[in-house]
Amino acid sequence: MAVTATPDPRWCSYFFLYDGSKVKEEGDPTRAGICYFYPKETPLEQQELLCGQLAGVCRCVSELSSSPVRLLRLHRRKFAICTRGDFLWALGCAVDIPDISIHGFLEQLIGLFCFYNGTVRESYQLRSKEELATQWGKYLSHLQGGATELHHIFSCLRTIDSTHIDPLLLLKAALILQACQRCPLVLAGCILYCGRVVSTQMPPDLTAKVLVHETEAYSQELKSLANGVTPTDSAPLSSSVTSIPVFLTPSELHALRCPPVDWACRSHCLPLQDNRTKKSRLLSRTLSDTPDPEPELPGLDTTYRTPEAQQSVPGSTHSSVSGETRFSPSPSGDAPFPQDCSGSRDQVLANGTPRASAQKGSGGQDEEISGAPLPAPPLEGESGENRESHDGGGRGCGGDRSKQRGGCVAGGQAANGETGNETGPRGAGEQSDEEQPEKSDWQEPNDSKGGSEDEEGGGRRREQRGVNAEQRRGGGVQGVYSEGSRGNQGTQGGTSTPGALWPPLVVMALYQHRVRGLVLALLVEPNFQSDAAAMEEVHHSSLASLNGLEAHLRSTAAGAPGPPGGYTFAHYDSLQNTLTTNLSGGAGGALERSFVRASSLLHSHFSQAVTLQEAIVRNAGSAVYGTRSTAQETYFLQQGATVRNSGVPTPQDSAFSLPGKARHRLLKHGVNLL
Amino acid sequence: MASKSSLLKVILLGDGGVGKSSLMNRYVTNKFDTHLFHTIGVEFLNKDLEVDGHMVTMQIWDTAGQERFRSLRTPFYRGSDCCLLTFSVDDSQSFLNLANWKKEFIYYADVKEPDSFPFVVLGNKLDVIERQVSTEEAQQWCRDNGNHPYFETSAKDATNVAAAFEEAVRRVLAAEDRADHLIPTDTVNLHRKPRSSTSCC
Repeated sequence: MAVTATPDPRWCSYFFLYDGSKVKEEGDPTRAGICYFYPKETPLEQQELLCGQLAGVCRCVSELSSSPVRLLRLHRRKFAICTRGDFLWALGCAVDIPDISIHGFLEQLIGLFCFYNGTVRESYQLRSKEELATQWGKYLSHLQGGATELHHIFSCLRTIDSTHIDPLLLLKAALILQACQRCPLVLAGCILYCGRVVSTQMPPDLTAKVLVHETEAYSQELKSLANGVTPTDSAPLSSSVTSIPVFLTPSELHALRCPPVDWACRSHCLPLQDNRTKKSRLLSRTLSDTPDPEPELPGLDTTYRTPEAQQSVPGSTHSSVSGETRFSPSPSGDAPFPQDCSGSRDQVLANGTPRASAQKGSGGQDEEISGAPLPAPPLEGESGENRESHDGGGRGCGGDRSKQRGGCVAGGQAANGETGNETGPRGAGEQSDEEQPEKSDWQEPNDSKGGSEDEEGGGRRREQRGVNAEQRRGGGVQGVYSEGSRGNQGTQGGTSTPGALWPPLVVMALYQHRVRGLVLALLVEPNFQSDAAAMEEVHHSSLASLNGLEAHLRSTAAGAPGPPGGYTFAHYDSLQNTLTTNLSGGAGGALERSFVRASSLLHSHFSQAVTLQEAIVRNAGSAVYGTRSTAQETYFLQQGATVRNSGVPTPQDSAFSLPGKARHRLLKHGVNLL
Repeated sequence: MASKSSLLKVILLGDGGVGKSSLMNRYVTNKFDTHLFHTIGVEFLNKDLEVDGHMVTMQIWDTAGQERFRSLRTPFYRGSDCCLLTFSVDDSQSFLNLANWKKEFIYYADVKEPDSFPFVVLGNKLDVIERQVSTEEAQQWCRDNGNHPYFETSAKDATNVAAAFEEAVRRVLAAEDRADHLIPTDTVNLHRKPRSSTSCC
């Protein structure tokens, strides 16, 4: 259970949100710009000092260098910085926390706020500072709650310990989610148990956001239970079902509607519904039941919809991609992405929280200034890609990726002039961070052109029209520009970079159905709530299975952590954003602590040095081996091995046998380093 | 005691594909879904009903029929108040397997007195034209195996479904009544024994 906690001062000594637009004139007090400050006990003078100084430094540096500031490193503390328009967030932490981790933390924090409240600008226009302060506080403590230090370092999801439960139950969970998707208003879902992810159809960062409400709702439920209010399972749509509005970035929405879920095709080809149900019927069989050779793992459903996808959206890059794509969420990664799949993979990457491979450009300088914006936060490019997702029969950008980009730039710009629905596709490939500097270049024209009527649309438009609303917002960049640009010219001084802009957020709904510790969370179209028939359908199709799954999970013994085995490992999957480790959650001994420190150090190095694949760090008593690929990072410590270390590397040095041991030992944990 | 709303656990057992999930869904939500998943493990739904003046919450447990799910479903047999043995009238093998299902249930549910435990036998898919199991055959089996009540049902067109579940409740209530009568006599015996033995010696 993700317990809410006060932030660990190592991870969060200070956190503030500063609105530069409130402090323009000489006479404007700095305090007018402080939207939120943690810890709130800090004297106002100190708050002003810190906000004023940091904001000043950031502005100065970014104006001089024409790129946004990401990190300010002081002597004993460093600050992760995020600027968007006039807003500046700073999160202060201990210096030994990896840059990438602290950025992940900050992005998650901002992401959470926007997910539940909408854009920051609008939130602060509509609601009081105090009200929003409790929101920030809630997210801050949620992100610090429960999980282990390693989880924080990798900013990863907390998943159910799959080694202790029957894999068939994971299949069951996945099938429940698929059954819900038979309702066309359901975009994607995830199943959580006691604050941990059992199965998800969403990109990792979205799953992480959904978790917050789950935890919150659970504690409320516990309270109401204590008061003697017992929701009954039998009552249709009982009190255990809740629904709240949430705000998705276009890229998130895109990821849900395109492969792997391939939503777009479902919504666009309603006439083919019969055909589709037949297919989903096939899907619903369990693995060993059906004689036909078609694979039936959850998440592979796009394969079945291929023909429709191609019919409905003939020119769309994504749909055609989806045709050949089998996106496998399986941790084993045994379904390598086909060439054409790059789009969807990058999609996932772009949505994922920090991943080492994407952080290539970032160095560890004192003031890190990089054209590449932070990994996850909404980018201008994402709004561009928003267009592409809805370009019903848009221009195709077939062919290989490089070609695609060329075509797409043209398409995107042409489309931009129209402000309309008809827009050109862009390969989602542009999403990946390595390419962003480039992207910011070719997107610049959009920005200057963009400030048109559609502007205020961004977050302003709270009413929901599903796809249509979003299509109208098609020229997403304008929406982006508008929100971020209020006073942008002044503060940013022409250094308007993608990271400095707002994405237009789209209102969706988060439907949650709780059965004790088990939660089915679905991202649904906003009109789902008013569609009684759809709600009933989803409720009925899932209730019995949820009851059963909950009973299964509850009866599954927590399971003693396996025998120590004489080694410690941590395996991070950067695509799914999950962590597998045999490290106990508790405080741990000295060896465990040094393992965490070593992993943190290596993770930091991996994120900074693109070409680094393997490394061993050691002290007098132990050695930790780390290895990484584009999709994963693995850390391994052999316990009790005498480190024969003469200072000069010799073949007898036991550290050199670590890679071999790691390969061997970790096989049985499903980690393949071969 | 029985006049209050009590929770009865009723479990559906039978071969895969005979329609256990459909029966449950038909009874509780009055829906029939031709594209149902094969159940993995167990699932359950609650249903409130009144039988002969007793308010009852029936918790219907639906189980996976396939052999490979055995380890997942068997832990949930325990605590059942009634067992609905289900077969499909168009599948003679599912009928032949009834005895195995009964045996499996008695073993894993740890039923103390199998002879008095309430079983109800359901022959589902009555709507299918080509039958492989005749009504007489089924009735004969029920008579030979402990005089279980037999219902021919169709989850598809809702024939007899409610009647079967209500009968299950009646059987449970009847069994409870019997147990209520039995328990006092048992306790009395325990208390009397020492006294009688002292008087003897």
